[in-house]
Amino acid sequence: MTATATRTSSATAAALRATRRHRAVRAFAATTGLTAAVAALFVLTMMVGSFRLTAGEVITSVLHLADTPSVDFVVRGLRLPTALSALTVGLALGASGTVFQQLLRNPLASPDFVGITSGASLAAVSGIVLFQVGGLAVCALALGGAITAAVVMYLLAWRDGVSGYRFILIGIGVAVFFEGLTGYMLIKAELFEARQAMHWLTGSVGQASDDELQLLGGALVVLLPLAVILSRKLRVLELGDDTARALGSRVEITRAALLATAVLLVALAVAVAGPIVFVALVAGPIANRLLGPATGSIAAAALVGAVLVLSADLVAVHLLPTPLPTGVVTGAVGAPYLLWLLATTNRRGAGG
Amino acid sequence: MSRLRAEGLTLGYDAEPIVRDLDVTVLDGKVTAIVGANACGKSTLLRGLARLLRPRAGNVLLDGKAMADLSTLDVAKVLGLLPQAPLAPDGITVADLVSRGRYPHQGWFRTWNDRDHDAVARALDATDTADLVNRPLRQLSGGQRQRVWIAMALAQDTDLLLLDEPTTFLDINHQVELLRLLRTLNAQGGKTIVAVLHDINLASRYCDHIIAMADGAIVAEGAPRDVITAELIEKVFGLACVIVADPVAGTPIIVPAD
Repeated sequence: MTATATRTSSATAAALRATRRHRAVRAFAATTGLTAAVAALFVLTMMVGSFRLTAGEVITSVLHLADTPSVDFVVRGLRLPTALSALTVGLALGASGTVFQQLLRNPLASPDFVGITSGASLAAVSGIVLFQVGGLAVCALALGGAITAAVVMYLLAWRDGVSGYRFILIGIGVAVFFEGLTGYMLIKAELFEARQAMHWLTGSVGQASDDELQLLGGALVVLLPLAVILSRKLRVLELGDDTARALGSRVEITRAALLATAVLLVALAVAVAGPIVFVALVAGPIANRLLGPATGSIAAAALVGAVLVLSADLVAVHLLPTPLPTGVVTGAVGAPYLLWLLATTNRRGAGG
Repeated sequence: MSRLRAEGLTLGYDAEPIVRDLDVTVLDGKVTAIVGANACGKSTLLRGLARLLRPRAGNVLLDGKAMADLSTLDVAKVLGLLPQAPLAPDGITVADLVSRGRYPHQGWFRTWNDRDHDAVARALDATDTADLVNRPLRQLSGGQRQRVWIAMALAQDTDLLLLDEPTTFLDINHQVELLRLLRTLNAQGGKTIVAVLHDINLASRYCDHIIAMADGAIVAEGAPRDVITAELIEKVFGLACVIVADPVAGTPIIVPAD
């Protein structure tokens, strides 16, 4: 009797070990592949353009290994800022989106939809239209707008704690309100300011200044590892507040910390590049497709975000007859993807 | 001696308290059922005992210490709770879900070790879910799913396990199967179990001790044979009934009077 029980148990342990190993291998392979894809796209965006360069020229110039003034001017002066902007904005959007979705337990709970991005947009457009500001001031306004929107939503959603469902509904309400006010601002604006505001509103990685990039880069170095460390707590928060509390998680403070990290990430990304839609929404689901369902890897989602923004920029600037802002491409590609995702998820749910 | 008890416990969500000034002692090494009509406060009491609700007044004591003064992670190593409607992320596999029960035993940077591994394997074996490890939770039947959730709570490896209406969405066969599982866990692992149950007949059959509640107060408690009387059922549920003996086990069974 005892012998049987022990044998069953070791078979179970072996099966469990195999499952965990398989998961770990898959996660490692997918993350490595994504990192390679990000690196390749990063170099590729700097190779193409009216002045074509080889991968070797780009890499030696970026790493300061050779001194060729003409190449250095094109690479470091013109293309590197845009490439860095696409990379950092993508990482920030991907990580932030997946944290939002896991925290609020809803695949539609992307910062694009729940009012954070529209808070940033309203503040930025108001600044452009009412005070004719530009550059770093618009960036600061967008950052402030996004954080204010998040705080307002958190306070409105608070009732003995914040539930995901209420936060999303309030977020959608806040988003609609802000979008209405942004529309009003645009109607009131002079033609020149309206054009500038519209350009900001479509989102483009090409508009980032060096100061903005340094700010976003510095923030990423702190916030991304923080999000990855906190993601362990997401694994139990996903099981519902009661289960998480029963497992010893301090639910409210954990949620506030994760939300603050995610809000800062998306606020900085939007402040630097304007609203680049759909990246935050699709990065997490794509990462889960690659690593396995419910794995929720934040690092993988961040890398997917970077792949998406780098590709979108490549398409927007080089593959289309007229160069377009990045946000137009992500929107055009992201929306059908979202529909496909929803349609296939539903079908699988019905089949299971 | 009792590891988990409450003194003068008052609990509530809004202005009106639901449970008032309650003294409860959970018997060590026994299976206890909390029964009562809908909205009598039985789930509230269970949530209070598991520190999911902060007491308005009074104390919940774990090993003689007020639970409010203990670290919630330390409590989670001794006391587990399976809520009424736990959530699972889309597509999660059984292995992944059960492994998450190890959370209180892991630190910020401590990775998965052999103890975690053994605890999860034991939980899967005890609930007969080892064959399901690679299956997504949503593809399982209701009975299998509930066993997987119990495996998750078992992986937490606690001496006390509280369950909030674990049989509610199950058919009669799976209800019995689940209660037998609780009995086995109690008999083999020496676990103290407290479950909120709806079916008095099943509670009488499979539990050692019954706590009957009405309007946020305890109206009777003790062994099923001593506690379940026609007067009590009339008082708790407002149902006129006759009590007969279970032909198999001799435990009390409620039969409506008219």
